[in-house]
Amino acid sequence: MKPVDLARKLRREAAFEPAALNRGKAVLMAAIRREAEPKRRPTIVPQVPYQDISAALSFLERAFGFREIPTARFVSADGVLLHATMEFGNSLIGVGGQGHHGAISPMSGGVESQFISVQVDDVDAHYQRAVAAGARIANELRDHSWGERTYWALDIEGHRWRFGQPIREVPQSGRRRRPGEH
Amino acid sequence: MSLPSDAELIGRSLNEPEAFGLIYDRHAATVLRFLGRRVGAEVAEGLVGEVFRIAFERRKTFDASRVTALPWLYGIGSNLLLKHRRAEARRLRANARMAAAGEAPDKRAGAAALDARLLFPRVADAIDALPDGEREALLLFAWEDLSYQSVAEALELPIGTVRSRLNRARAQLRELLEPGGKKRVRSR
Repeated sequence: MKPVDLARKLRREAAFEPAALNRGKAVLMAAIRREAEPKRRPTIVPQVPYQDISAALSFLERAFGFREIPTARFVSADGVLLHATMEFGNSLIGVGGQGHHGAISPMSGGVESQFISVQVDDVDAHYQRAVAAGARIANELRDHSWGERTYWALDIEGHRWRFGQPIREVPQSGRRRRPGEH
Repeated sequence: MSLPSDAELIGRSLNEPEAFGLIYDRHAATVLRFLGRRVGAEVAEGLVGEVFRIAFERRKTFDASRVTALPWLYGIGSNLLLKHRRAEARRLRANARMAAAGEAPDKRAGAAALDARLLFPRVADAIDALPDGEREALLLFAWEDLSYQSVAEALELPIGTVRSRLNRARAQLRELLEPGGKKRVRSR
């Protein structure tokens, strides 16, 4: 007997369940669907005006960990940066100039008319990063009775940001805001 | 009109991912049987979808000059099997026992049957003890009936390397057949 024939003697077919191939196909089709689905984009995208867009982009990345999407820049014919888009988690913000659309930076207007609330994975680490990058802390880190830990920061032009992380489940019925909580 | 080749389908799937489903329909049964021979039905059933998922995710790297995707799929399967060495060794020994039992009612002398009963477990041990690359080349060649060229494509090796691996594997098995050959094979 040849050596290879000897090895062939140990070949034996396995007995499969009839549905075995269907389950395998489901695994493949799930991978195909994941790729075929257009990347999910958030429905609402806050547009945040700044006097100095470049400085804002740099600060928001250093302090808050936002990342600019480089392919989404708008630049004027003479090379001036008009608008950029940043992503964080599954969300986006627009970073633009001020004026033509009526929105202005708190640095120009002296007031903030709204703030943006952001959920982060580790609010303590996020706080450290923001402080290290020179963010002004408007409200220190604290735990809230509704099960969240938050801090508030002002960016380089005075926009107000709230960062929070859920720390425990609190049933809806138990959520009562106490004095001083925000 | 002739059916599109695997290479054409995979090329099409770069823009239309769903087209890759046809690659599954064509080859999944073959790949499943291959995995089943090696690690048994239960493990194989869990792996067959993985083979095609990995293939789908790597489809950009498929060499479009190959007409059939089967050697490529065998290669992905071979890689996955390395994580199931224990199941593979178990099945190989079970196969040896069944092969030995199958030889028993042989018309020839009882001595030959006895030989088979002793020989096959040693063949199983010898195959199991081969280096991964040699075992894979041997079993793709002997069990799957792949050509040298297809084994080379599956394992992404030059054909000369496949030839030398197969020769080394053959030499190990030949020793078991020769009188006065290795009496003992390293067993685990």
